[in-house]
Amino acid sequence: MSEEKESNEPKVPGRTIGFSIMTIATFFVAVFLYQNSAPETQSVTIPAATISEDLAGFSSAHWFLPDDDMFGFVEIPAGSFTMGSNPNLDRMAYQNERWSDLRRQGEVDLPRYFIARYETTVAQFAAFIVNGGMTAPQVPLSGAGNLPVTNVTWPEALAYTRWLDQQLRQSADTPAALRAMLDAGAAVTLPNEAEWEKAARGTDGRVFPWRDAPAESVANFNSQSTRAVNSSQCSQCIWGLNDMAGNVWELTRSPLQDYPYTADDDAEGLGEDALYAMRGGSYADGLNNIRAAVRGGVDPGVRNSSIGFRVVISSL
Amino acid sequence: MLPSLAGHATPGNMATSSVAGQPGSTPRKKSNKQQNQAGFSVTHFRVPLVLACALFLLSFVPRVQSSPVLVASFWGAVAVLLAWQAYQFLQMQREQQSYGFFVLLRPQHYIQAMVQSSVYLYWGFYWRPVYEHFWLIIAQILFAYTFDMLLSWSRKRDYTLGFGPIPIILSVNLFLWFRDDWFYLQFLMIAIGFMGKEYVRWQREGRNVHIFNPSAFALGIFSVILIATNTTSLTWGQEIASTLTLAPNIYTFLFLVGLVVMYFFSITLVAGMAAITLFLFSAIYSSTAGVPYFLDSEIPAAVFLGLHLLITDPSTSPRTPLGKLFFGLLYGIGVFALYTLLGALGAPTFYDKLLCVPLLNLSVIAIDRLVRSVNSETLISVWQDKWFNGRGNLAHMSVWVLLFGLMSVLGKTDGKHEGDSLPFWQQACAEGLPNSCQRLVQLEATYCGDNAAWACNELGAHYREGTIVEQNQELSLGYFSRSCELKFKAGCVNLLDVDSIARENPRELDLRLLLREGGQNLMELPIDQLYARACDHDWAFACDSPRINI
Repeated sequence: MSEEKESNEPKVPGRTIGFSIMTIATFFVAVFLYQNSAPETQSVTIPAATISEDLAGFSSAHWFLPDDDMFGFVEIPAGSFTMGSNPNLDRMAYQNERWSDLRRQGEVDLPRYFIARYETTVAQFAAFIVNGGMTAPQVPLSGAGNLPVTNVTWPEALAYTRWLDQQLRQSADTPAALRAMLDAGAAVTLPNEAEWEKAARGTDGRVFPWRDAPAESVANFNSQSTRAVNSSQCSQCIWGLNDMAGNVWELTRSPLQDYPYTADDDAEGLGEDALYAMRGGSYADGLNNIRAAVRGGVDPGVRNSSIGFRVVISSL
Repeated sequence: MLPSLAGHATPGNMATSSVAGQPGSTPRKKSNKQQNQAGFSVTHFRVPLVLACALFLLSFVPRVQSSPVLVASFWGAVAVLLAWQAYQFLQMQREQQSYGFFVLLRPQHYIQAMVQSSVYLYWGFYWRPVYEHFWLIIAQILFAYTFDMLLSWSRKRDYTLGFGPIPIILSVNLFLWFRDDWFYLQFLMIAIGFMGKEYVRWQREGRNVHIFNPSAFALGIFSVILIATNTTSLTWGQEIASTLTLAPNIYTFLFLVGLVVMYFFSITLVAGMAAITLFLFSAIYSSTAGVPYFLDSEIPAAVFLGLHLLITDPSTSPRTPLGKLFFGLLYGIGVFALYTLLGALGAPTFYDKLLCVPLLNLSVIAIDRLVRSVNSETLISVWQDKWFNGRGNLAHMSVWVLLFGLMSVLGKTDGKHEGDSLPFWQQACAEGLPNSCQRLVQLEATYCGDNAAWACNELGAHYREGTIVEQNQELSLGYFSRSCELKFKAGCVNLLDVDSIARENPRELDLRLLLREGGQNLMELPIDQLYARACDHDWAFACDSPRINI
């Protein structure tokens, strides 16, 4: 009778099942969090077309640098040039292009250096990313491989130059002239303002990189978008460099400071907010902003669809 | 905290009323047979159903609607609770029996809840995310009641309806809560806390009781997982630990509300001993090493809060006065040791106060045994009531008040702490004082993470120099890049010239971040006050700045 009464009473479940459920839940939380613990790396999705091996005019074997004997680098010989603007000759000149209170322009002497014929391209920057030059890149690389890379911050542009420097030093294919320059202590970097301006206007004080040519035929300005860096040739430009006027603003390694220009004070004024010079104007600018002497300033952390860069091999 | 087992309270300190059984009957003594005779009834299912519906309705408040994941978390929790209710319903229908609940209001629950609420109110006044968290706490309370009720019914017994779940939820949320995108884990953490209370038990003094303090159990397990998976960033844990000090005189506030708990529940020996141990160890360390042991206080405010709330549950702590003293001593030692251990492992040190509680809960029986093995009635009964004409707890509290007062007079509680000052750690590091360089790097990493460009540049400099940390060019360039992107010119210069190191004093914006002491918003602070504050924190350049006199 007693046993019968016991059997009528509800059977209290043991704790084993509940304990097991709790343990399994805990285990799954641990596994779930472990799977989410990997450092957040932005997936690098580079369209195949961007780094296509048959990108005309560029060598996929050499980080998509131009497919020529000098990897697209152009030598700028040593010597002085006229920097800044003379409003008598250039009515579009801005005040910050004036050399000093007493002088409109100044003379700057530079040693020999090499500068890239083209602005750095999407494919070149993608090669840098693919080869582990940068983790978690935020640079959009969806454009065609021969478009100039944009939306690059100043430190990212410098990171690219450091990476390219390494590649050129390690590669057996590096042109002898470039290798000799690197071996002599030069480095791949961003141009300083003087290097950029000399490369843009040459030694004859021209306002634009070309003489006697309609601007529309050689420069991409007053337009809606960037164009391929090798879409035209500037035979009228003194060194044959493309897009020194327009297409994208080009970052330099010089802080934006009042003239007279000297690289000696680049590391001064550290208490001020960093602001770096950019040159050349962009596709979105008017004619006045694509002059060789125009100086823009940009915060080093800024990304913008009209700002890119080109590289130099400089011993300064 | 003090969530205690049903049946612990004496008739004098609880109010009961039966809902499921016969009115006036003693609910705890109702046999299973009596329950069977009650038959199946759907009446009691209304309560968890209403609670689940309330949780569902809460998902429509703007705070919850602000995050799709939060909404999904709420709906997921509701779905689980409803499914469980349906299962319970079918189960009871099949067995032709039902379980209800009886009301049991215990002072240790509602007084504890009131004390915790006052902490939230005071702290939240100075750190607004606490107030913004309000609806999420309410949601957890609704979830906890429903979950606990269903858990109880699944164990074939009536549910003890009181304030029990509230201090558990409030206690958990005083130390850890998940960010919106991961909030479903908060519900899971609560569930595991209650399951631990139900399923992890042992026989203690002839009674079947839970081993772990429910909130400390949940916090302990999740702390271990978060440390092991390096996912602390999914929670607000670090912010919670560091923002308590935003409330002025927080130590005094916690001390005063702690006195309320001490007065009612005789936890003085445990909490007081833990605090004294920590203060003592901290003082010994700083007098021998020359630098504070804890980064910015003699005893972190969150630890001070923890020793009042996490280890004082009578169900999971020793019974005898000597055992309580020993328990508090072990907590103090545990926190002290874990702080260094976690730091050495590269884990966030704020877990120190959470990790040792479950271990201490596990050692309770051993502590009780150890105390009983002491062959001296005098020693076992030390601090016992009879010495003070039955007012032992008041005597303990008096001693604690005196000690806290002494520590406050010595500047060891509220007020400025030398560890708050980065220049202090720079100086200490330069002098080679123990752990100071590690602390300096740790602090700078925190500030760099907060976008203080100066701190990023300093970190970059350390990794380039390789004197106080191992040289690492890649890390160095990463920190310089960060600093430069934040417009700190020295960082940019360091990117260009890898052969030297440029340094500069913090800029105004950096100071607004470096002087926050845990999270104060100094963005609107007038510049003269900002520089005065910097000067007060040993930034020599700020004392010389003309801006200080603007």
